[in-house]
Amino acid sequence: MKAIDLVSKTEELISPGISACVGCNVELSLRVVMRVLGPNTILAVPPGCMGGVGVVGWDMKSGAKVPVFFPLLDNPASMLAGIKLHYDRLGEDVNVVAFAGDGATVDAGFQCLSGAAERGDKIIYICYDNEGYMNTGYQRSGSTTKGAWTSTTPVNKEGIGGKMQNKKDFPMIMAMHDIPYMATANPAYVQDMVNKIEKAKQVDNGLAYIHIFNPCITGWGVKSEESIEVARLAVQSNFAPLYEVENGNFKLNMNPRNPKPVKEYLQKIKKFSHLTDEDIEELQADTDKKWNRLVNLASL
Amino acid sequence: MKFKSKYIVPVGADGIYEIDTGKWRTERPVMDKDKCIECGICAMYCPVFSIIKEDEKYIITYDYCKGCGICVHECPKDAIDMIPEEGK
Ligand SMILES: Cc1ncc(C[n+]2csc(CCOP(=O)(O)OP(=O)(O)O)c2C)c(N)n1
Ligand code: SF4
Ligand code: SF4
Ligand code: SF4
Ligand SMILES: [Mg+2]
Repeated sequence: MKAIDLVSKTEELISPGISACVGCNVELSLRVVMRVLGPNTILAVPPGCMGGVGVVGWDMKSGAKVPVFFPLLDNPASMLAGIKLHYDRLGEDVNVVAFAGDGATVDAGFQCLSGAAERGDKIIYICYDNEGYMNTGYQRSGSTTKGAWTSTTPVNKEGIGGKMQNKKDFPMIMAMHDIPYMATANPAYVQDMVNKIEKAKQVDNGLAYIHIFNPCITGWGVKSEESIEVARLAVQSNFAPLYEVENGNFKLNMNPRNPKPVKEYLQKIKKFSHLTDEDIEELQADTDKKWNRLVNLASL
Repeated sequence: MKFKSKYIVPVGADGIYEIDTGKWRTERPVMDKDKCIECGICAMYCPVFSIIKEDEKYIITYDYCKGCGICVHECPKDAIDMIPEEGK
C-alpha cells in the first residue's frame, strides 16, 4: 500500500472527531495504523491519551468502527492473548491489536507484554511513545528522555531539574525477546510505517511489536504545525532511529549520510529549553553510542 | 443491551462517539490551486484525515479540521495558507 493512497483507498475506522490536541501526531499514527489493518481487527486501547480522547467511546457509543476494548494500564497484552486464543480455537483469523502508550507499555504493562512475547502469543502490540504519562498531566515515565522537564521532574528558575535517569531503550528490549518482528516507526515517515504494519499483519508465529516515536504537542511544548517536523528531526539526528528486526536480523530503514546534530531536534522542544551545552553534549554522546551499537547489530 | 459486532466484543450500541472538532479552529487552511501540484503530502500528514481526494484533486474539508497548520507547514509548494476564522 502506498502511503499517499491511504486517504483515497482505505477506510477510516476511527471516529472522525476525537478530542486529541490540535496537531497530535498520535492521532495521525492511530488513523494510519487502523487504515492499514482494516476492519478485520479487534483493538485494545488502555487508559492514556488515545483512550481519553474518545477512541474507546463513552457510555454506549464507541470511538472506533471495530470492536474496541479499554483494558487496564497494566494488562493489555495478556487480555489480548486470551482473545486471540479464543478466535484461534474458532478457526477465525482476526488481527488482535493493542495501541498503547509508553506508560502502559514500558512501565505498567511490561510484565504482561514480556510474557506474551515470550509465549509467542499472536498479537500485534503497538506502543505510541510520547515519553510520559500525558493523559494524566505529563508525568515522567521510563521512556522519558534524560534531562526533560515533566510535571514530576520540575525545573527551577535557575534551570536546575529535569529527569535524572536515561530513557529505557524499549525497542531493543523487545527485540531481545527474540520475537518474529520488532520495528520502530515515526509519523514523519508514513510509508515506512505502512510497510511495517503490513509486515506485522503477516506474522503468524508469535508477537509483532511496533514502537512509534510520537513527539507530544502539549506535554513537550511543540508548535502544532511543527508536529511532523520535530518527529522527522528525531530520525534525521539518529535520536530515534528507524529500524526493524525480523527473526533476529537487524536492518536500518534510514541511515542519514550526514546526521543532524541532536541539538537541532532538542531546540524545537520546550521541555528541553533549560538544558545546558553540557547536557546537550551528553545527549549527543548517548545518541552516538546507541546509534553505533545499532549499526554494529545491523552489520552482523 | 444490544451490541453490533460479529465478535464477542462490542461495538457501541448507540453508534459512534464523535465531537465537532471543526469548532475548535481559530484559523482555517485554504489551498491555492494555482500553486498546488496534487502531490497529496498535506493529506498524508493531516492528523484528522480532513484533506480528501476527489476527481484526482485534493480538497480540504472543514467539518473536523482542527486548524493545526501541519498541512501548511508540510506542503512543498507553499500552496496552503492559514486565514483567521471569522469571529475568533
Ligand atoms: C495502574 C494504573 N495507574 C494509574 C492509572 C492512571 N492513568 C490513566 S492514563 C495514565 C497515563 C498513561 O500513560 P501512557 O500509557 O504513556 O499514555 P499517554 O497518556 O501518554 O497517552 C495514567 C497514569 C491507571 N489507569 N492505572
Ligand atoms: S497530550 Fe500529547 S499525545 Fe496526548 S493528545 Fe495531546 S498532543 Fe496528543
Ligand atoms: S501538499 Fe501542497 S502541493 Fe501537495 S497536494 Fe497538498 S496543497 Fe497541493
Ligand atoms: S489544519 Fe491540520 S487538521 Fe486542518 S486540514 Fe490542515 S493538517 Fe488537517
Ligand atoms: Mg505516554
